[in-house]
Amino acid sequence: MRRLIAILLLAVLAAAGTQPAADAAAKLRVIATIPDLKALTEAVGGDLVEVESLARGNQNPHDLEVRPSLMVKLRRADAVIVNGLELDQWADAVIRGANNAAVVPGSPGYIDASRGVPVIDVPTTRVDRSMGDVHPYGNPHYTLDPGLAPTVTQSIVEGLARLAPEHRATFERQRQAFVARLEPALGRWQTALAPLKDARIVVYHNNLGYFFKRFGLTQLGTIEDRPGIPPSPAHLARLVREMKETRTRVVIVLESWSDQKLAGRLAEETGARVAIINTKLGTFSGPEAYINSVDANVTALAQAAR
Amino acid sequence: MRARIVAAVVAVLVGLPAWAVAQEADTLRREIEQMRQQMQNAQREYQKTLDALTERLQRLEARPRQAATAPIVVQAPPGPAPPTLTDLAKPHQPFSLYGERRQGQFLLDFGVVGDFVGNITQRNVEKATGGTFAGRENRFFPREVELMFFGQIDPYARGEVRIEAAEEFEDGARATAVNLAEAHLTLLTLPWGTQAKLGFLRNRFGLLNERHREALPQTDQPNVLTQFLGEEGLRESGAEVSWVAPLPFYLEALAGVFNGDNEDAFGRGSLKAPLVTGRLRTFFELGEAHALQLGVSGASGETPDKRRSTLAGVDLKYKLTPEGWRHALLTVAGEALYSNRRVDVFNDAGAGEDRTRKRFGWYAYAEVQPWQRWVGGVRYDWTQFPVDPGREWAVEPYIAFLPSEFLRFRLAYKHTDRSHRVTGPDDRGSARVFDEILFQATFFLGAHPAHPF
Repeated sequence: MRRLIAILLLAVLAAAGTQPAADAAAKLRVIATIPDLKALTEAVGGDLVEVESLARGNQNPHDLEVRPSLMVKLRRADAVIVNGLELDQWADAVIRGANNAAVVPGSPGYIDASRGVPVIDVPTTRVDRSMGDVHPYGNPHYTLDPGLAPTVTQSIVEGLARLAPEHRATFERQRQAFVARLEPALGRWQTALAPLKDARIVVYHNNLGYFFKRFGLTQLGTIEDRPGIPPSPAHLARLVREMKETRTRVVIVLESWSDQKLAGRLAEETGARVAIINTKLGTFSGPEAYINSVDANVTALAQAAR
Repeated sequence: MRARIVAAVVAVLVGLPAWAVAQEADTLRREIEQMRQQMQNAQREYQKTLDALTERLQRLEARPRQAATAPIVVQAPPGPAPPTLTDLAKPHQPFSLYGERRQGQFLLDFGVVGDFVGNITQRNVEKATGGTFAGRENRFFPREVELMFFGQIDPYARGEVRIEAAEEFEDGARATAVNLAEAHLTLLTLPWGTQAKLGFLRNRFGLLNERHREALPQTDQPNVLTQFLGEEGLRESGAEVSWVAPLPFYLEALAGVFNGDNEDAFGRGSLKAPLVTGRLRTFFELGEAHALQLGVSGASGETPDKRRSTLAGVDLKYKLTPEGWRHALLTVAGEALYSNRRVDVFNDAGAGEDRTRKRFGWYAYAEVQPWQRWVGGVRYDWTQFPVDPGREWAVEPYIAFLPSEFLRFRLAYKHTDRSHRVTGPDDRGSARVFDEILFQATFFLGAHPAHPF
């Protein structure tokens, strides 16, 4: 037993000793809950931060399993950036399990990126679970709208500057540079998506509200019956009827983790085209990661519109 | 004379305009001078204003500019400084956040869980009260209706309270009882990667003890846990401290001190001879699809007659989650428990003898979830009885249907085989081998449940 304890202690000391001290002192260790927030943090943090995402690009950010491997990432983090609006509620359990006082809610290292976002789809009447897994604070998928990236990055800059005030100017300069690169990209995306303005779009989950609003696209319906509830045959029959009655093109948009077979069947039955987005989510890194990720989504949508 | 008068008149007539012109010129000069002074004053004032504006402009230009495309400018207030040990020691207002509350906004989460269980079995099993749910054979009953409150107490601690109502069978009678299921606080901001949990809580001992009944992977808990820890498992009052090692992989260690109230395994119920618990847990992800958790647990306390009782356990859990899946396709888990207990045994002469009982038991289950709404699996149990001689084994295939995350129906068949007959009160019946059909309906109201590994 003594030998086991000694080995464990040595392992802990060795692990602590292998951390590059100078690097650790220079860089903030930041954990974002979803890949989009990781990409935006890399854009403003540059070389001053080391960012990881808890959710992988191919995972649905709504209901991640609370695994100890996620807690390991947060154990030594200086900051956690959460999406908020109840998208990543699972992060609360991960944070509690990480035993890291620096990132618990209320600490300077807890950064809620939704602050300042003009939230849409906020329920104006009483909601309950008969409406599915509704988000009572509104639509939480704001990171999919590149037009809101300046707002989100400002919250991130404020959060990072709380932890490293000496780098505030650098964070802000890098944010300005990111926004300057984003502006022409927005124009490019508007042009690429223009052919879709006449089309009607069916999504799997209602997560593209901000994106559609930004680019003037029209949503016809959702494949899932209600948020988080798999579609019933009656719902699908109704949706197929609506898709067939629509006189313009219909495009089905879904993520890599949604039921692609079902979307394929719907497309076959109605003649709609299918676009799968977020396939490249989490695969990019560096200051261009977010723009590259949106580029991939816009390309997928534009190809489906041809 | 006349000539003098004429000359004087002429002189006056000639001189008056010159005097008037001179007077007018003086007046004009004064006015011009005044205007010039006013102009100079105004110029100085303008220069001052201009300087002030230039300085302000330079200050503003020196600041970082806001993005032209930013829809909303957010100036997040600076967050609170991290609490020091001195801060923690100072008294403060725990409910100062009330000032920020909006209408209709609560400062805590709450939820309700309803867990209803039914079973059908043979008549002799019912008479012997020897089924999985002793005394409630061939009944449908509320096993656990739980009211939960949880949330941040203040920036440093989190609290959780659970109150449960359930149909219980004690002393030969059934009754619906309302009990405190858990009430504890967790100190979240302790240094060096530690946390402390205080209060009345489900102990983190083994794989399933921490879980509430509705969160078990099968309708009933494994037989070895019921035999060694009782139907309610290990729930104790006391404190435990956990530490997550700063390693590249997950390693959690925890130690706790409790009263030792659990009558099935300990029962001394005093901090003078406390129940001491410990657990080590580690976790590995083997690629994106495979995950493995390993744990060892220990608990040592005293029985009411001041004899030592020690439990040790090992547990394992594996999950296969294909890329992009929202849930695991395959889960395999198991747990083994060893009990070493000093007991007082009466010999043939009727005298008490101090003996040691070394007992063992284990279970394992495998579960598949090929679709989001359907789960199927099977569990195998084998256990000795902790004090009495004998053993039992059981096999339990089951299937579950989940219309949503908040509703679940489960159906199971359980076959149990004991090494000896269990006899009911007043020798009304006995059972050795028996079969049960178990069914369960569970709902969750309110706060979203987390998905633990």
